[in-house]
Amino acid sequence: MGLGLVKWSRIKSPWILHFNSGACNACDIEVLAVLTPRFDVERFGMLLKGSPRHADIIVITGSVTRQIRDRLVRIYEQTPEPKFVLAVGNCAGTGGVFQQCYNVYEGVDKVIPVDVYVPGCPPRPEAIIHGVVKLLQKLQEAS
Amino acid sequence: MMREALGVVELLVFPGFLFLSWLALYFEWVDRKFYAKLQYRYGPLYTGPKGFLQPFADFVKLLAKEDIVPAAVDRFLFTLTPILMLALAFYALFYVPIVPMVRNVAFGAFEGDLILVIFVLTMVGFLKFLAGWGSTNRFSAVGAVRTAFQLLGYEIPLAVVLLTAGMGAGTLNISLIAQKVASNGILASALLPALAISIVCFQAELERIPFDIPEAEQEIVAGWLTEFSGRRLALFRFATDLELTLAAALTAALFLGGPYGPAIPLIPVQVSYFLWFMFKTTVIVMVLANIRALFARLRIDQMVHFSWRHLLIAAVAEAIFIQVLLAAGVIA
Ligand code: SF4
Repeated sequence: MGLGLVKWSRIKSPWILHFNSGACNACDIEVLAVLTPRFDVERFGMLLKGSPRHADIIVITGSVTRQIRDRLVRIYEQTPEPKFVLAVGNCAGTGGVFQQCYNVYEGVDKVIPVDVYVPGCPPRPEAIIHGVVKLLQKLQEAS
Repeated sequence: MMREALGVVELLVFPGFLFLSWLALYFEWVDRKFYAKLQYRYGPLYTGPKGFLQPFADFVKLLAKEDIVPAAVDRFLFTLTPILMLALAFYALFYVPIVPMVRNVAFGAFEGDLILVIFVLTMVGFLKFLAGWGSTNRFSAVGAVRTAFQLLGYEIPLAVVLLTAGMGAGTLNISLIAQKVASNGILASALLPALAISIVCFQAELERIPFDIPEAEQEIVAGWLTEFSGRRLALFRFATDLELTLAAALTAALFLGGPYGPAIPLIPVQVSYFLWFMFKTTVIVMVLANIRALFARLRIDQMVHFSWRHLLIAAVAEAIFIQVLLAAGVIA
């Protein structure tokens, strides 16, 4: 009963932290579109938070550059458990158009564990919301 | 015996801890929902009917999250400040008339409780400073210093207008002021400018747009709150909601008569208290949300400048105005 309440509250109140790990900025604009009145994810209780200490889901856009790797790992470690990672865009999934560049890791999962990938270059806001729903479904199914 | 039992119920259930907690979450919901409506959004929608349970879900989730204590923080302040802030906000609410049950006044009412509540309001602002300072994070420190600066700005005008209501009513007991304002139309209309000033000051006290300078997330992450996570953050958020409740209830009591108002026929007087109180405070919270939607953030120097140049002068002018009316015998 108590655990059910906690699970319910986690599903109903996913707060996100937006992290740009070297995106071309198109993905970031789509992530911001998710928060604006047209898509308004506050309907589902999602809020954009400035501090990793307050967040539940880290939304990462862009392939991880060598320069930002350490910062990304530190932000990940600063986020309290339970935490989830949503990789938005082809870059975050595989390196995308930056694949085989000398200065990037090919995907966020080379650095930190990822829960859900949202493909697209850039993915539409609906796709990003769909990704979050998938993440919450995983949460719901986990015992 | 019966009376004492009722007193215990009043302390714990209605309008005590349980009701106050519900009220705090209700006001956060009103605030977020109305703010969203003003921006052509829906706001929380699927958590309970019309998103009503959203603040509760946030609270439970934060309680169940990992509670990180960074190695560099001052452990004592880091633990003490959230608890103390919550306790102080609850404490002050027992002196403000909400729905008087046993006696016809607030639970803890005594002559001079207005001074006590003003003191608690200052203490809450000061605790925010200590919380940020104890985090020893550069963003928290900047936020903390800004909080203290802002306190210098709104503190004095707020105290002046709150005491002006006391001056007009000739007492420093919040419940008696509320009764007097509710029954004296001239006093209530003379206090309208004070109502406007106090709403602006409370907006600054609560660190909401345009006075969210200490939490400016585009500049300093989350200000003095940056390092807090899990349980501590939940307590801080809850304390902020209670502070919003306190602001709304206090403004309603001092300038609009709080729960007292024209009797509504056919229902017991307590129910009419409840209806009047909910009506007045909800309107005040909506006004606060409206200000939030209307403005952009000020700079810290603009804020202090504005408070000392305009707000303080307006507050003192209002106090003099009430004094003149009292001397001329207009307010009986
Ligand atoms: S996936 Fe496409 S749009 Fe997104 S950051 Fe990479 S290149 Fe830009």
